[in-house]
Amino acid sequence: MEKRQDRTAGIPDRASPWRLPLAPVLLLAFSLLFFPSRQVFALQLITHPNTDIEEISRSTARAVFSMRRQIWPDGAAIRVFVFPDKHKLHKAFAKQLLGVFPHQLRRAWDRKVFSGTGQAPDTVQSEAEMIEMIIKTPGAIGYISEDNRDESVQILQVE
Amino acid sequence: MNRYRFCKWSRRLVLLGWLLPPLATAASLFGDENLQIHGFLSQGYTHTSANSWFGDSSNGSWDFRELGLNASYRITPKLQISGQLLSLTAGEMQDGSPSLDYGLLDYNFANFDNVNLGLRLGRVKTPIGLYNDTRDVAFTRPTNFLPQSIYFDKVRNLELSNDGLQIYGDLLTDWGDLLFQGGMGKPVTDENVEYAYLGNDWEGELSGDFFFLGRVIYELDAGRIRLSATIADGDLDFEPGPTDPFTNGTVGIQLRVLSFQYNAEAWHFTTEYMQEDVIYRNLGAFRPDGDNTAEGYYLQLAHDLFTDWEIIARYDVSYLNRNDRDGTKQEAGPFGIPAHNMFAKDWTLGLRWDITPAFMVRGEYHWVDGTAWLSSRENNLFQTERHWQMFSLLASYRF
Repeated sequence: MEKRQDRTAGIPDRASPWRLPLAPVLLLAFSLLFFPSRQVFALQLITHPNTDIEEISRSTARAVFSMRRQIWPDGAAIRVFVFPDKHKLHKAFAKQLLGVFPHQLRRAWDRKVFSGTGQAPDTVQSEAEMIEMIIKTPGAIGYISEDNRDESVQILQVE
Repeated sequence: MNRYRFCKWSRRLVLLGWLLPPLATAASLFGDENLQIHGFLSQGYTHTSANSWFGDSSNGSWDFRELGLNASYRITPKLQISGQLLSLTAGEMQDGSPSLDYGLLDYNFANFDNVNLGLRLGRVKTPIGLYNDTRDVAFTRPTNFLPQSIYFDKVRNLELSNDGLQIYGDLLTDWGDLLFQGGMGKPVTDENVEYAYLGNDWEGELSGDFFFLGRVIYELDAGRIRLSATIADGDLDFEPGPTDPFTNGTVGIQLRVLSFQYNAEAWHFTTEYMQEDVIYRNLGAFRPDGDNTAEGYYLQLAHDLFTDWEIIARYDVSYLNRNDRDGTKQEAGPFGIPAHNMFAKDWTLGLRWDITPAFMVRGEYHWVDGTAWLSSRENNLFQTERHWQMFSLLASYRF
């Protein structure tokens, strides 16, 4: 969608870091100050190979993973796959790629599931299972670490 | 509740605990990714220094149980059907008989780049404040008992769910999400509503007419900051029985709630403020026409310790009449109801332990001044004690 997505701490923009606005830099400095020992994973959003999208904005990714956006632009259902809340990749994914805390996602899902206004994502236990589910489920979206890049799924760039 | 009944119930709970997870995985075994099944069960223990809350609590009460089972099915990408069965045991207030908590059809008819518009039809959860939509799911509550200033348990059915129609709209933008729900529906009332507004379970019936309900929530960064405003406006109609002292009249209700929440990584601050107008009309000489505004608010701070523990502190204040906050006018009135029944100031300190993502225990202690949110079904209002304490322990399982 639009530019200027990273208002929160996360992976620094690949393009010219000195042109980043002040607020995210301060936020990043702040989070480094408070959580200095957090490991940074290189993560990758992935989708079913037939998905007709190659880029997604951070706010759209957030809407998808908080189960607020349920339909791809072509009208197909979005199927969301995640690791368990405490999985290190899930924590890193929530914070780095979406800019939210895992507990925010959990609360958003619970509100939907227990009030009849939506559904929860499907949980997978391993990266191999993630790739398998993404390949066999039309409309699927998930994430893996960059070392596990797989040619059979489609990579989705977060703008 | 005696030891025998407790043993019987704990056995049943253990049995359910074994049955439920296979049930949940059964959904995926059907091989249908459009079907989801979820549920929860909670058992609470309540002990009070005086007064009764969720059973005979001054002797220690086990009469607090929540069982819920829901299913949702995505018929098409835009159309979902879902329903939840709920059984709640809450002392004299709720006897555990199962009821339909919600059952609705959700049609998400418009889906643009950053806008969702849709329609819900059927029994819909009443959108109030930050916690009402999932108030019976212990995992989604901050404490075993929600702040009673806003989420009253003694008249829970007035707020719980409503039969009608709801329109919703989500605007998802880079500067935050705007979530709107508005609709018309009849609240699913019960005899507790009669106790609260007419003082007894009368032969006649007090039933909900169509209420207008609306809530807007603004969320920054998917919930780092949450702001919300709620209104609910409608009438309860009283149809008297032959021996009832009231005539055919109405109790009008208008509820307004403002909410604010800030979620940092390990700190959560929440505050909500509520006003409720209660307007009595045409009920006869025993309940003269009159307007009354109840008021309440709370401040709450929670902190995550390590990864599985949470500590919480809250100050919760309720006034049944904002023009008689200390209750002196009520006490001087014709019935002479003791003043402390008109307010309640509740300090709460709680500790939650998530033993696994699916199993949780929480203990909390309340120091309460006043008895405004105690039910007259469980207490003789002339004999309640003004200063009292409560200890509550609750174990909850979800899937």
